[in-house]
Amino acid sequence: MSEALPALRLRGLCKQFGRPAVDQLDLTVQRGELYALLGPNGAGKTTTLRMIAGLLAPDAGSVEVLGIDLANAPARAKQAIAYLPDEPLLYAKLKPTEYLEFVAGLWGVEATVAEARAIQLLDWLDLTAHAHELTEGFSRGMKQKLALAGALIHEPQLLILDEPLTGLDAGAARQVKDLLLEHTRKGGTVLLTTHILEVAERMAQRIGIIEHGRLIAEGTLEQLRGLATSTNAAAGGPAQGATLEDIFLQLTGHA
Amino acid sequence: MTLRPGSALWLLCHELRLYYFRLGGSRTASAGSARRGPSRTSLAVMALASCGLHVFAWSLLPALASRGSAPAVLIGTGMLCLAAFSLMLSQGLKTSVEVLFERGDLDLLLSSPLPSRSIFAVRLGAVVIGTGGLYLFLLAPFAHVGVLLGQPHWLAIYPLVLGAAALAAALSMLLTLGLVRLIGVRRTRVTAQVLGALVGALFFLLSQVYANSSGNLQQRLARWIGAHTAPGGAFATDSLLWLPARAAQGDGAALLTVAVLGALGFAFTSHFTHGFFVRGMQQAASLVKNAAAPAGGQRYRFGRGLLLTVIVKEWRLIARDPQLVSQVLLQLLYLLPLCFLLVVKSSTTVPGLGASLTYLCASLSTALAWLIIAAEEAPDLLRAAPASAATVARAKLVAAVTPALLLLAVPLLWLLWRQPLTALLLALCATGASVGAALAVRWCARPAARGDFRLRARGNFLNTMLELATAMSWTGLTLVALNLAHGHPFDFLAAVTGAALLGALLLLTGAAWLRRQRPA
Repeated sequence: MSEALPALRLRGLCKQFGRPAVDQLDLTVQRGELYALLGPNGAGKTTTLRMIAGLLAPDAGSVEVLGIDLANAPARAKQAIAYLPDEPLLYAKLKPTEYLEFVAGLWGVEATVAEARAIQLLDWLDLTAHAHELTEGFSRGMKQKLALAGALIHEPQLLILDEPLTGLDAGAARQVKDLLLEHTRKGGTVLLTTHILEVAERMAQRIGIIEHGRLIAEGTLEQLRGLATSTNAAAGGPAQGATLEDIFLQLTGHA
Repeated sequence: MTLRPGSALWLLCHELRLYYFRLGGSRTASAGSARRGPSRTSLAVMALASCGLHVFAWSLLPALASRGSAPAVLIGTGMLCLAAFSLMLSQGLKTSVEVLFERGDLDLLLSSPLPSRSIFAVRLGAVVIGTGGLYLFLLAPFAHVGVLLGQPHWLAIYPLVLGAAALAAALSMLLTLGLVRLIGVRRTRVTAQVLGALVGALFFLLSQVYANSSGNLQQRLARWIGAHTAPGGAFATDSLLWLPARAAQGDGAALLTVAVLGALGFAFTSHFTHGFFVRGMQQAASLVKNAAAPAGGQRYRFGRGLLLTVIVKEWRLIARDPQLVSQVLLQLLYLLPLCFLLVVKSSTTVPGLGASLTYLCASLSTALAWLIIAAEEAPDLLRAAPASAATVARAKLVAAVTPALLLLAVPLLWLLWRQPLTALLLALCATGASVGAALAVRWCARPAARGDFRLRARGNFLNTMLELATAMSWTGLTLVALNLAHGHPFDFLAAVTGAALLGALLLLTGAAWLRRQRPA
């Protein structure tokens, strides 16, 4: 595949649950980019992520991962993706080592590669000391970190994370943020949703704002700032230096 | 009447309301319906059953009155009281674990300004209702009809049942607290379940053994009881052992004793439970003790291949959950009486045993398949993975069916050595039954949480019936096939039964396949 292909391209993505949850969504995320998807509750963020991960079939539109159409070649497309929902996908009665063995088995990672990576990931995430304990006794932060280790064990090119920092203490949040930045530095791509706007502000190269299933604004923080001032200049909208929170509230009509 | 919020009576009403809602089970309310608790149909059925019981009591009481208070009646009543009390105890144990440690609202109540003593008194009251409610429902009609027929001593049922239930609740709650202190909450829960099931199954098995035993044994037992209950014997009819029976017959002093014992037990236990929680004993007992890290660092077993990876994961998850294992085994225990009947009623032992084994295999496979397939903990992980869904499904079927077949292997090997043809037929039928059962679950069962294992039958009546009918048909087929192999003449009836069962199996499998859940 050519290097010029984007990591993710959504075209006209639609999903209805009685009412439209995702409505004609077009979105492109370039390789090596950290893209933050923001939006109020119920805007369709999680539905979008679940369609990208292949958990939900779209009513219309297409998902392309590294140029591979998800509907035509689901196995090849999924091989490159890791999906991390806000409730970590763990098994209470498995130990971290066994969980990583299982996930590596699902993605067909070779034994020698997987073992080296598992040791490294558990070490990075400070889980080595707990590697022999059952996951059910873990704190929320430890569970989230283990799920992240599971997502990274098959070295995905595209990491999809739904609220990865909810309920983490400062230390764990820092570890997760560092891992995500490291992932993009090595050429990987990250698409995440978050309610912690400060995270998007500091980490994301580009930010998309979604409301009622549609992308209503997109760009770098500077571009969004410009957008917000121009749409609302008359009403005395956010000036230069406004925070993402101001911009977000104004664009979603809550300011 | 409105009760003052925060009073003990108000709390009791709250508790009763929750009890009423729970009677309805976890049935999924249809969209928009705000009804909790039993549906109108089940309420009507209950009312009808109560009327029926009244009629039954009406027809029975005059006949009972003429029996008087012969020692035999007293002994019979005493035995029944004993049996009912042990069932109450086992039920009370289960309810105690639930109201103290499972419902999870105790922290909310204890953090409120309500006096904690009344909270625990109400909790214990809920256990009394949970243990005694059924008996009151079944026996109260006799009291009502007794009054109408001029036999007011039947009113003794009310104080007797309530007193016994209070005593059983108090004892079981004390036992629960003791167990929790010794072995922790989780293991207490398992113990309570196992004890409850064992008591129930034991009574059934004993009664079956007695009913099917030879007349000689029954006579010897009757003589033994007669000798010990004669005046001056160890269990003479005026001994304390028969106090509940005398109370049941309306003896005032005996009734008073039972009622006072119940009340004292209640008061002591609610006070003790309060102390137990205030001193934080359960926290001390429930601290998770982490296993020590293995010497020599972590050992990894990567590269097993997808099929084996999934199978190993499923078996690990089940083997590490003693609660689930005990529930699965208990289900099989409940089937033992049925198997016992199959063996006893067959003219020769082998076909009956074979049919029982087939049924056990089917039940075990159904239970495991439900846990492995319907109660998958992280279905999204499997679906997000590039692994072939067909391979994962196949691995799960193998994981569900193998344990049953492994258990079967031991008797099968023995049989293979004695009667090769019978063994071959049994192997075929049992494998068919296990695979069929697992497939039916795979096609029909809805995704669920592992903790709901015990309630799974409630959720979907049709699926349960389908599972049951399939297992029954395989069992019947085994019986017919083994009887033929065992030298019974091949007659028309056997042929027709066999063909009918095969046809039923085909139909049932087809029905299961048609009902299969399609992904959204």
